Amino acid sequence: MTVDLDKYLKPGKDHYIALGLEGSANKLGVGVIRHNQGQLTSSNRAEVLSNIRDTYIAPPGEGFLPRDTARHHRNWVVRVIKRALAVAKIKGTDIDVICFTQGPGMGSPLQSVVIAARTLAQLWKIPLMGVNHCVGHIEMGREITGADNPVVLYVSGGNTQVIAYSKQRYRIFGETLDIAIGNCLDRFARTLKIPNEPAPGYNIEQMAKKGKHLVNLPYTVKGMDLSMSGILANIDSIAKDMFGKQNKQLIDEETGEPITAEDLCFSLQEILFSMLVEITERALAHVNSNQVLIVGGVGSNQRLQEMMKLMIEDRKNGQIYATDERFCIDNGIMIAHAGLLSYRMGQVTDLDHTVCTQRFRTDEVFVEWRDD
Amino acid sequence: MALIPTATYQAPDIPHREFHPGDGPHTTSGTTTQISDHVINAGGEDRDKPTPHKDTPMGNLRAQLTTLQDQLNVFLTERMKLDKQGKSNEQELERKILDEAEDEEED
Repeated sequence: MTVDLDKYLKPGKDHYIALGLEGSANKLGVGVIRHNQGQLTSSNRAEVLSNIRDTYIAPPGEGFLPRDTARHHRNWVVRVIKRALAVAKIKGTDIDVICFTQGPGMGSPLQSVVIAARTLAQLWKIPLMGVNHCVGHIEMGREITGADNPVVLYVSGGNTQVIAYSKQRYRIFGETLDIAIGNCLDRFARTLKIPNEPAPGYNIEQMAKKGKHLVNLPYTVKGMDLSMSGILANIDSIAKDMFGKQNKQLIDEETGEPITAEDLCFSLQEILFSMLVEITERALAHVNSNQVLIVGGVGSNQRLQEMMKLMIEDRKNGQIYATDERFCIDNGIMIAHAGLLSYRMGQVTDLDHTVCTQRFRTDEVFVEWRDD
Repeated sequence: MALIPTATYQAPDIPHREFHPGDGPHTTSGTTTQISDHVINAGGEDRDKPTPHKDTPMGNLRAQLTTLQDQLNVFLTERMKLDKQGKSNEQELERKILDEAEDEEED
């Protein structure tokens, strides 16, 4: 049975337009999406009218602090919204619903962006829709790639989850027990004092391409879950030995060649990604699926995509779906898309209930727009 | 029409306190909403300054609101500091009582 998505279409209209505001971490994203009447199919795709992003960049060796990140969002949000509306060629009053990230994420950046959403909603008399950030990633990934019922690997700076859909919930099969994978990579980038521009993870990926010696690191898969803080502590101490006061030279046992910073980046990626591949493969077997969809900022890492592809190709009809940085990395359009799906089911968030929350699990969301 | 933002504060020890932005000049660059020193000391630069206000009723409201926000931030930070001091005085008193009691036992 398919869900009727048009019960709440405004009379005389044949489409919906949603504005999405994202600011759960260091990216401020504003997007405008258009859905035409009817089911979303390969011939009736959601249309991205604009997708603007501005990233808060911290100095090298530093992470982004909540206070300064929130300040970035506050001081840019009006300019970015104006640009998004101009690119989309729409007026504020053309919008059906204003969607915002309600969580999970960093408290003060979330709060800064929701204030913009509330203000516009009251100014233009448009309903609000709070969106779970993770569900935003999943729905946008499905829409862009056309994967209908994949196992989702959600990997980013704040989240690491293996998710599968069942009975109107996105259920978490496995997740990190401590820090997120992107956090692990970013923090190692800080140890090496790699610049944060354009993204610390991207710079690690480029360095890892030049690495060729695998340094021994712990491998910590715990059932369906994984733990990464110990790996980070381990590689941090190796790096400190190598580049600190001791200036210790490490030698690769097989070749006798010296270990470089590039080798460390390479080893960290290989170990972390192997762990992800392992739990994803197990989730595929559990739900008897052969599709994997990778979403989240770390999902744009080509080495991760390549390793996942090697695994999936060994499965019957295995398919891998991934998006590029426009949709992988946090953006406003995914919030607009997921929020609009809820809106089309008649859901809206009353002003009193627009409070953001740092903890908002993926499986708390009732996925009313799917019924398969 | 000029739009003037004001704020009032009430607490058990302060029945009524009013905040008014005053005559100005007002800007959107608030003293309490600058980039943090930590970032500047780490070699960061401020790329996220707010846009200057326009000379329109809404623009002027924005600038006055920033002044008002500064007043509130300073006032509330001061209140928090006093609150913290009060708490640490209490703790100090408690520590003294407990420690002295302990001393007596040792003697």
